Amino acid sequence: MMHSIELINLTKNYPKLKGYKDLLLHPFKKQYLPALQDVNLAIEEGSFYGLLGPNGAGKSTLIKILSTLVLPTSGRALVNGFDVIQQQKQVRRSIGLVVNDERSFYWRLTGRQNLSFFAHLNNLSGAEKDKRIHEVLHITEMEKDADRMFSDYSTGMKQRIAIARGLLCDPSIIFLDEPTRSLDPLSAKHLRKFIKDEIIYRHNRTAFVATNNLHEAEDLCTHIAIIQNGAIKSCGPIEKIKQQINAAKVYLVKLARHSKFTDLSSLQNALNVSMAPDDPNAFYVESPDISRLIAEIVQHEGAVEECTLKTISLDEVFAKVVEET
Amino acid sequence: MLLLKKVFAFVKRDFQNEISYKFSFLLQVFGIFINVSVFFFLSKLLGATQIPQLAQYGGNYFAFVLIGIAFNYYLSVSLYSITQSIREGQMTGTLEALLVTQTEIPTIIISSSIYSFIFATVRVIMFLIIGVVVYGLDLTRANYLGALIILFISIISFSSFGILSASFVMVLKKGDPVAGIFNGISWLLGGVYYPIAILPAWLRACSYFLPLTYALEGMRLALLKGASFYQLLPNILSLLGFTAVLMPISIYAFQYAIRLAKRDGSLTHY
Repeated sequence: MMHSIELINLTKNYPKLKGYKDLLLHPFKKQYLPALQDVNLAIEEGSFYGLLGPNGAGKSTLIKILSTLVLPTSGRALVNGFDVIQQQKQVRRSIGLVVNDERSFYWRLTGRQNLSFFAHLNNLSGAEKDKRIHEVLHITEMEKDADRMFSDYSTGMKQRIAIARGLLCDPSIIFLDEPTRSLDPLSAKHLRKFIKDEIIYRHNRTAFVATNNLHEAEDLCTHIAIIQNGAIKSCGPIEKIKQQINAAKVYLVKLARHSKFTDLSSLQNALNVSMAPDDPNAFYVESPDISRLIAEIVQHEGAVEECTLKTISLDEVFAKVVEET
Repeated sequence: MLLLKKVFAFVKRDFQNEISYKFSFLLQVFGIFINVSVFFFLSKLLGATQIPQLAQYGGNYFAFVLIGIAFNYYLSVSLYSITQSIREGQMTGTLEALLVTQTEIPTIIISSSIYSFIFATVRVIMFLIIGVVVYGLDLTRANYLGALIILFISIISFSSFGILSASFVMVLKKGDPVAGIFNGISWLLGGVYYPIAILPAWLRACSYFLPLTYALEGMRLALLKGASFYQLLPNILSLLGFTAVLMPISIYAFQYAIRLAKRDGSLTHY
């Protein structure tokens, strides 16, 4: 299967802006700020890939390199097999970019006029252009508001027009840079569902979303890459990453009310015991062999009401990965 | 054909944007009228005084200066429109959205300035109409085709400086040295408000290094004296010479500036 996106030892350093003192004393000295360091990643066709990272991690830089807005310092980036430096035109033909910046539109023009203008720039014209605009307005449910001035739109509507613009060329790959950042929780939820159902799965596009909203990543993505300080710390299918992080199995054990067992420290098959915050009879325990642990509790006249394997959330995965570095 | 459609898309965008600011649109018309009137009454101050340096242009100061200020506007548009379109795109945030489309950067930048040239043409026509209808400017002998040729070549020549200026803005964001200096020198030495013949010899020599000098002289000869194509040829060839030298340099500088801005990641910064 061809990879939609391939990054090979991708590095990006930004020149550091010099102050007047440095300009005078060290005019030829160059200093750099690293943004991406030897990034290697391969994204399969049809996957919904999330790029997670704290602010300043390098997410936007990576999206900009893949969109041909920024040149990498070294390494290679391929989009649909096209090099982002040597074959910029072909790259731009394959992609749609959805940015969370409502200023990227002309506010004194209507939604339709904006789309018409950008359609022209994407080599669409005449009847084909009108048809495509009609289609993207239909997909994004903006048909009845298309002829209102962009400045009159709500934030959610502006974001839908941004998605409509990203879909104009019917791209096989779509980049989304924090698509729900400025939306309220309900609007964000609707937009995420819409993105998943209408944009990606129905048309089998590859999507690459940069976000620091873990809930959004878990909701949308099949795969994630966690990036920090310009380096990929972990990548792959979400469940696999969770299993890797939660290799040591953590269980939630709930004791029956009538249980006489109280001394958790005496358990030999238990590691890292901590009480559950909302139930005095429940506790979290890490154990290599849960059946032995339960047997031990029973031996101590305890009674186990419930025992479940704790599902590690993406928040915990993210925190563990980021803290470990 | 596709290129023309894209250029038209930019013109349409700018027109739709301009007319949405209704009061501003009408104010510009009013401004033109005031401008023409000021120079008419200024020329009345000179009355029937014979100014020898104006003889080759018909002797009328109002006619001389009207053409100067009307066509100098093209110089300003050439110098500033490309730069302004980049700055505006950077500051409004639309530049990034334009740059990920399938249209090349030079097409985007130059197409963004076309509306300004169209509006400049409308202004110039209004200048001339007001001059003729209200203040009796005599254009009966005008060689309009010759004037159009001079205008077309002048715009391309001036645009070289505009593209060079845009290169600086692309990298430096602010503090472009080209447009301001060139515009100022052109106003002083290009023959906008007075014939270059009244300048001291050493300054007059400097004016021959400016394309505006040849553009305005050619325009005045074509419109006021009805000069033939052959009489305009020295001006046309001078302007072509400027274009041949400056345009390749400015295009190279612009492409280099884009590469630099992409390398620094500052394409959309301001």
